[in-house]
Amino acid sequence: MQAAREKRLEFERQALVHTDSLFGAAYRLTRNPRDAEDLVQDALLRAYRFWDSYQQDSNCKAWLLRIVTNTFINEYQRKKRSREVLDAAAAEQESTDGVLVQASASDRQSPEKVLLERSVSDDVQRALESLPDDFRTAVVLCDVQGLSYKEIADIMATPVGTVMSRLFRGRKLLATALKDFARSEGYVRETTTTKPDEKPLDFEKYRAARGREGSR
Amino acid sequence: MSLCESIESLAMAYLDDELVSEERRELETHLVACSSCREVVDRERSDLSLVRAALVPPPAPDLFKARLAKALDEEARLAQRAQRLRPLALIGRYILPGAATVAAVAAIAVFVLVRPPATSQTGAVASEVVRQQKRSLPLEVQGASTGPWLRQHFAPVEPPQFAEPGIRLEGARLTVVAGHEAAQLKYMVSIGRETFGLTAMVIEGLRGTELTGGQAIKVGERTLYVHDADGRPAVTYVDEFGMTYVFASDRLPAQQLLELVVSSDLIGRAQQAR
Repeated sequence: MQAAREKRLEFERQALVHTDSLFGAAYRLTRNPRDAEDLVQDALLRAYRFWDSYQQDSNCKAWLLRIVTNTFINEYQRKKRSREVLDAAAAEQESTDGVLVQASASDRQSPEKVLLERSVSDDVQRALESLPDDFRTAVVLCDVQGLSYKEIADIMATPVGTVMSRLFRGRKLLATALKDFARSEGYVRETTTTKPDEKPLDFEKYRAARGREGSR
Repeated sequence: MSLCESIESLAMAYLDDELVSEERRELETHLVACSSCREVVDRERSDLSLVRAALVPPPAPDLFKARLAKALDEEARLAQRAQRLRPLALIGRYILPGAATVAAVAAIAVFVLVRPPATSQTGAVASEVVRQQKRSLPLEVQGASTGPWLRQHFAPVEPPQFAEPGIRLEGARLTVVAGHEAAQLKYMVSIGRETFGLTAMVIEGLRGTELTGGQAIKVGERTLYVHDADGRPAVTYVDEFGMTYVFASDRLPAQQLLELVVSSDLIGRAQQAR
């Protein structure tokens, strides 16, 4: 009894403090708040079940992010596909009888603000959607969570070089999409952007060459 | 290899603070002299800040946090209960909730706690099924033809099906339990990374007195019995035609075994073709 209460408190102190972070990652991975909540809850319940196997002195946030990422890759995606069929039916229904309700709900805020906020955040989500899962995961872990290449490589079980190329290409695609959007809305003037995927990553070649020079 | 050739990836590692100090110094020295590389770094920097600014996520909603805390409390409560039931509980609470269709039935069992029996006076039948479950004797039939085979060689019964995904009927063999003809149905259960066997023994012509002991659990109008056979749980059920079903698995604690049985189509199913 006592042990169970202590476990719960310990989990609260070490794991639940990262709820906002985990939700942030999940929100960018799943691209909608409802799925993000499901994902975080699944992951945290799983973490709680395996709390005894967590090494107390290791990085708890990284451990939790690994669970979130794995849950996302393994289960959430599968579940989502089956649910999409149902959602499509529901959406069709809504599109016929939900229009008025929705319109009146958003009227409460200033229309310009709603339009701006919605379009910018929609665009981020759209841009994220265009990324392959692996690229998105690398970008989210680095740019939302601030993890190092090594930590991301551990979580994704890939070499650091792979993380770098996913990160590089993922960011390029995102930046291009965001700028395209801003341009189409007239926020920024034409700028030149490099096309994604045009160059392989040569960082490791560089390091290898450097190492050889150094040893001479 | 010159720095200019690798500048894009170098710039990324530089901006992510992933270069070792020597590499960083080398790059910074180079940037002073090379304006085209400087342009690349500046462009990468502005792209990076654009991406990072766009990706700042909202915090978790308070309502969600409250719901999460409740879910954890529930999880803690269930874990505690499973532990009380049997220390060898290997798996978490993956069994329930199962498919929505059985959730209502299963909910009945969730509120019925299995208490360890005060005295272990479980009859020979449950004990023998637990013993036979542990032995892995060859099956006489496997896969989809198990049902028809069972009806041809044993009795007009359907192999019970479980609502929980990951439970597969492997096959069956004929056997004898406490002097009665019986069919052992073997299932493979996969939960998470765990895989283990589950037996449903179907026994014909058993008299009520041979199923002594065990704790009675009422599920709707049906009564199941949970037995403790030398520390291993068994769940017994006699259908309206007098056919006895005994479930045993050496990896499931009593509560989870019971929940599985309740989620099967056996409970509430009208026996076919009798």
